Amino acid sequence: MNSFGKNTVLIGLDGGSFTILDRMMDNGTMPYLKSMVESSARGELLSVIPPLTPPGWTSMITGRSPGYHGITNFMQRREPDSQLLNMISSRDLACETLYSIVNHHGKRAGSLNFPAMSPAPQIDGYVLPGWVSWRWLRRNSHPKGLLDRLKQIPELDLKTLAVKFEEEGKAVVGCEQGEYDEWIRLHIRREDQWFRVLTYLMKTDPCDLTTVVFDGVDRLQHLCWRFLDPAYIPETLSSWEQHVLDLCHEYYRNLDRFISEIVALAGSEATILIASDHGFADSVEILYINTWLEQEGLLRWKSGVDRTDEYINDSGPNMTLNAIDWEHTKAYASTLSSNGIFIQVAGKPGLNGVPPEEYEDFRQKLIAALRERCVDPATGEPLITNIWTREVAFEGPRMPLAPDLTLALRDSGFISIRAADTYLQPRETVFGTHAPEGIFIAMGPEIQQGVSLPKLSILDVAPTILHSLDLPIPEDLEGKVPEDLFEPAFMRSHPVRYGEPTRPVSYAWSTHLSPEEQSPASEADDEEEVMIRLRALGYIE
Amino acid sequence: MAQREREEIFKDLLSILNDLLEDWEYSGEITMETSMMNDLEFESIDAVALGEALEMHYQQTLPFAEFLTDLGERGIKDFFVSDLVEFLHRNVEKKT
Ligand SMILES: [Zn+2]
Repeated sequence: MNSFGKNTVLIGLDGGSFTILDRMMDNGTMPYLKSMVESSARGELLSVIPPLTPPGWTSMITGRSPGYHGITNFMQRREPDSQLLNMISSRDLACETLYSIVNHHGKRAGSLNFPAMSPAPQIDGYVLPGWVSWRWLRRNSHPKGLLDRLKQIPELDLKTLAVKFEEEGKAVVGCEQGEYDEWIRLHIRREDQWFRVLTYLMKTDPCDLTTVVFDGVDRLQHLCWRFLDPAYIPETLSSWEQHVLDLCHEYYRNLDRFISEIVALAGSEATILIASDHGFADSVEILYINTWLEQEGLLRWKSGVDRTDEYINDSGPNMTLNAIDWEHTKAYASTLSSNGIFIQVAGKPGLNGVPPEEYEDFRQKLIAALRERCVDPATGEPLITNIWTREVAFEGPRMPLAPDLTLALRDSGFISIRAADTYLQPRETVFGTHAPEGIFIAMGPEIQQGVSLPKLSILDVAPTILHSLDLPIPEDLEGKVPEDLFEPAFMRSHPVRYGEPTRPVSYAWSTHLSPEEQSPASEADDEEEVMIRLRALGYIE
Repeated sequence: MAQREREEIFKDLLSILNDLLEDWEYSGEITMETSMMNDLEFESIDAVALGEALEMHYQQTLPFAEFLTDLGERGIKDFFVSDLVEFLHRNVEKKT
């Protein structure tokens, strides 16, 4: 028992889903994971709303929901009344991370490939952020000199390691048959790069808390779902299909080896957690929500704009937004990933929209219309299975940045923001898409073996990690340590401890939020104190 | 609003860009005429990260997304160091 709290490793599988992993364990592709799960506790891990990568991982490493931590999407607005979107960065992060929480207790932390970690915060440990172009890895990682150390790794290749944004797009829009081979191999090579970095740092710069995200799981499942989900795999395969299937298996076989080597390196006293930011499911249709809004008379495209113009459609959400006629638009969707609808509230001169006093009434009518009229034209079945207002999905001080409504679709897919002739279209082939139910696997000397846990929340991971490190849980974390996770005798001798709330971080974009909407510490108007805080966070030298 | 001199801004830009070049095969000298996409082989995501770095350098928000969107709207697929200097000259407040 003396070794309790020694070290914890969080292995993140982006989009990890038992639908796929159970099959890989059963068919012999992931033998290590199979044996590991037998001596582990496992359960489904419920993601945030909507089940999306940046808010999901950020909730996992902060223990706070998106309305508090402020990361709602890949791109989001900075001001409540702006339409333009900015890429999220660590400066949008409004809550303390596990990394700095464990630092307060003299423990070191490592963070590899997490979103919203660039530019890297200056923690005691290391940060090599995810979702960063290779050119910016040096400048945006921590500590200074990390990249030079990593360059001692044989075969390290930053261009392979870093995300390639133009390649990522293929995961959701598809690619030619001839491109699958190289695309899957790219992800096999990329995971190998992150594995090399991780194991190098585990050996040369060990931390009490080590965290890593392998994101190829998500990419492969998006593009290759029909080769992964047993419900879709054809009985007889063409040689090309067989080849793709083999490559997918190679990816998961490598992942299995990585997990086994990481566990071995962590040592027998370590707590190992495998968790995902969201799960995965199949998507067979596309809902063009802006086209539905157009048909409802709530959105108009600018005249003279060719709605089918590929440049408008493929140049990112800001170009699509630019094609909207704001004089005649009351509701719109600005990103495919958020499944969110924004209501255009009249305000700034020249901007029409819904008068503020009619907002609530308008929103209720829009919700009713979405439920009643956004239906499958062939069957009349509703396409939207759930609608959350932002007060529910994004409760917290950052709520004003989030969409007014967030939708869950009947086939769990993402909306499209493009203009189309009809608002519902079938996909040519089935694609993988995000689902709320992700994975949680825990193994360690104090963890129960072979236990099936009830559904957990992604917010439970941070308290679990802190307890596994024998640290008190800040009282403002929203999740809890799952009851049946640790051995009962152990829990009696080591009950969960609660402690001081997390420390506030400086809000980089807080100008639009009133003081009472901000956390206590951002009220500090003393410039000196703000500078100290910025310095501590690594925002200034 | 006092504005920063163009020359001073160019130096700031150079210090950021040179920092990136350590892992890069670009060997030419960066001048006002250097193009971001063609010469430096920036991708749009690099331009976004540059906006981020500039905001941190000047410790103020900059309408960088608007700048990039405006270029896109005008069908301009590349921009020059001089465009950036002009943008910053217009938007960076000089802190005294
Ligand atoms: Zn994800």
